[in-house]
Amino acid sequence: MNKHLIIDSAKCTGCGLCELACAINKTGQCQTYLARIKIWQEETRGFFVPMTCQQCDNPPCASACLMNVISKDPVTGLTIRRLEGCIACRACQLACPFEGCSYDYLQEVLVNCDHCEGNPECVKYCPTGALRYISTAESMDLERSAEAGRRCGLAGLVKGDRR
Amino acid sequence: MKGEKNMSKSKGYAGQILEVNLSNQDSRYKELATEFCRDYLGGIGFNARIICDEMPAGIEALSPENILVFGVGTMVGSTFPTASRTEVSAKSPLTGLFGTSNSGMFFGTQLKNAGFDALVIKGKAEKPVYLFIEDGEISVCDATRLWGKDSWDTLDILKKQYPGAEVALIGPAGENLVRFACIENGYYDAWARTGLGAVMGSKNLKAIVVRGTQGITPHNVEELIKVSWKARKLIETSPFFKPFQSYGSMNAAMPYGSFKALNANNFSQGCLSDWKENFARPKVEELTHGHIACQSCIIACAHWVEIKEGKYQGLRMKDMEVTPTVSFGSGCGMSLEATVKAAEMGQRYGMDMVSVAGVMAMAIELFDRGIINQEDVGYDLAFGDDDAIFRLMDDIAHRQGLGAVLAEGTMRAAEQFAGGEASAMHVKGLEMPMIDPRGRWSTWTLGILTNIRGGDHLRCRNPIENLRFNENKYDFQKERFGYDQKMYDALDMPDELKAQAIDLETDTVDIAIMSRWAEDLINLFNSVGVCIRPPVEHRIGPTILAEAYTAFTGIKISPIELMQSAERAWNLIKLFNLREGEQPEDSKFPHRFYEQTVGGKMLDEAKVQEVLQQYYQARGWDMLTGKPGEEKLQELGLCNLT
Repeated sequence: MNKHLIIDSAKCTGCGLCELACAINKTGQCQTYLARIKIWQEETRGFFVPMTCQQCDNPPCASACLMNVISKDPVTGLTIRRLEGCIACRACQLACPFEGCSYDYLQEVLVNCDHCEGNPECVKYCPTGALRYISTAESMDLERSAEAGRRCGLAGLVKGDRR
Repeated sequence: MKGEKNMSKSKGYAGQILEVNLSNQDSRYKELATEFCRDYLGGIGFNARIICDEMPAGIEALSPENILVFGVGTMVGSTFPTASRTEVSAKSPLTGLFGTSNSGMFFGTQLKNAGFDALVIKGKAEKPVYLFIEDGEISVCDATRLWGKDSWDTLDILKKQYPGAEVALIGPAGENLVRFACIENGYYDAWARTGLGAVMGSKNLKAIVVRGTQGITPHNVEELIKVSWKARKLIETSPFFKPFQSYGSMNAAMPYGSFKALNANNFSQGCLSDWKENFARPKVEELTHGHIACQSCIIACAHWVEIKEGKYQGLRMKDMEVTPTVSFGSGCGMSLEATVKAAEMGQRYGMDMVSVAGVMAMAIELFDRGIINQEDVGYDLAFGDDDAIFRLMDDIAHRQGLGAVLAEGTMRAAEQFAGGEASAMHVKGLEMPMIDPRGRWSTWTLGILTNIRGGDHLRCRNPIENLRFNENKYDFQKERFGYDQKMYDALDMPDELKAQAIDLETDTVDIAIMSRWAEDLINLFNSVGVCIRPPVEHRIGPTILAEAYTAFTGIKISPIELMQSAERAWNLIKLFNLREGEQPEDSKFPHRFYEQTVGGKMLDEAKVQEVLQQYYQARGWDMLTGKPGEEKLQELGLCNLT
């Protein structure tokens, strides 16, 4: 994998344009429920955290999948799905710690972020630079670990509210 | 399973209006007709038509006959930048005229995704209830356990019960029928002006919880994406964009202070002597961090505020919006930190901050004048005495002691005191916003007089207002333009009208003509659900909105027709106001503005009247009475209301 989708939640204003951009480009619908990126918000503390598939090396969604449709693409390193085999049981959604699997009710399958073939729409739309698409070398800095820490903390300790 | 598919056949619009009668818990669904969409667009347009069609004349605003309408802007839920706004309207208990207010965040998006472009609430529930609307279905639920709770406590409960939902609700002020109670939009936003919270309270309706997963189908996805990017680039290249992105609406606080055009101590001073140091930008920025956006907004003008030390340590909320900050800070002479506390109380109790600050400023002035005293209030009142002001606010929300009188609003409360009228700063019953027209006379300030909802500053603003200049050599007729040809060209306005409104040779803007345009433009924004922040108002106009509207809904409309739809709604609301008893002489500022100077300036009544007449003329209304003329009504396809 040469490039990563990096999220800096400190810059997120919660506008939801990433969700809309994802939904409209993937499904032609204006409905953030269909997006593969979701903003978690801690409304009474004034912060927002976009959550999407982290493209884990050893993804728990793949282990959880009953139909064995989730795998790692050997070339791109992305977590990919064979959608025709999906029975929409949502085991992957339960297994993912990052809210990385979304239910697409139009196709009746579970989906995850595919980096839009190397040109993520959400990154283009983000008005503040909270979302960036950068090389592995760039992303392997402290900033990334700090962000992961913040998000794990949010997922575990704070009861966030997903819009 | 929820949200299996989008049931609606219409594009862009959700396609349905939901009508609930709380008296018999009956609900009805109405399909949207294409002509209705084209003629009234959405948002305030829908609200105006529905209210004018269905509300009998002369009803009492706090009676079950009043109709409360939530109209979602057409573009809401789309990628169009800043499309998030929902308009709420009813007959106002404060003014007796058309009451209406606009708010953003995510409520409208959810209502549309739940399947509805508008929600119409009629009747009155027997006991406290709340509505839960989800994916085309509505239930009326018991709210006895929520009644009496402040809005934040209520939200904690409802948000836990309905994860991911958006909530519109009232606080204790709305329950107690305080005439300027607002409808809260989540924790930190509100449909604040004109007392719509009291209307909700009078219907025994505590909250409206909305959640939707149905989705909105654009007519032409590619075209919508294209026009959204075009609009975004336009907004981002406006010179107003960067300042608003970094400092939000507080940008206006200092210039208006230096013009001596603020509501200092109930419009008595123009600007407080220590304003510049107490409300200086570095001081404000010290308390704020992070920016918060509404749905699809690229500006994110709102701030997150945390007070780390002092008396109000630990307070944290979304604030430092210019309206509450200046209303309390300048109007009641409070400290910067205290305005945050006041805003918190305003949110919890659910009161319009402009109105509550206005009525309290009047009470303090009456106290200073010796018209009311310690015995009447129960404690001493003084400008800048934070604790007394908070106590008074609490009394108003709960209608205790003098609070019961003040809860009736400035106009009604002033009648209770001999000589009270001289301190009552309102237009048509709605408390004046924080700008003093004596300090700066402009399109914005004439708009306070011509506003269809009374003394308010949000329905008319010159899209290219220049805050560097404040010249009063134009005899109330004009304001200085002060920009170059490039700014002139960037304004999306029909060429002929633009040439009439802006004279580049003399570098002036004609206030009457620009007011009419600005009002229609803002009414258009409130119909399609776009924000009125200066970078948007400067660059977004009917041309691009017509493109966006057609791409999203598939309904063909020209820029001229689009402006006409906005103008139609404005005229319709004016007809409603006339039917409800608005008189020509009501369009007048408080006496003080014509009799006392501030910073050496005051208004000339005859000249202001003259500009007002020019405005009526520009609108095609009768020059003396301000009634929409037959010709204008015919042009818009309207007829007089009976």
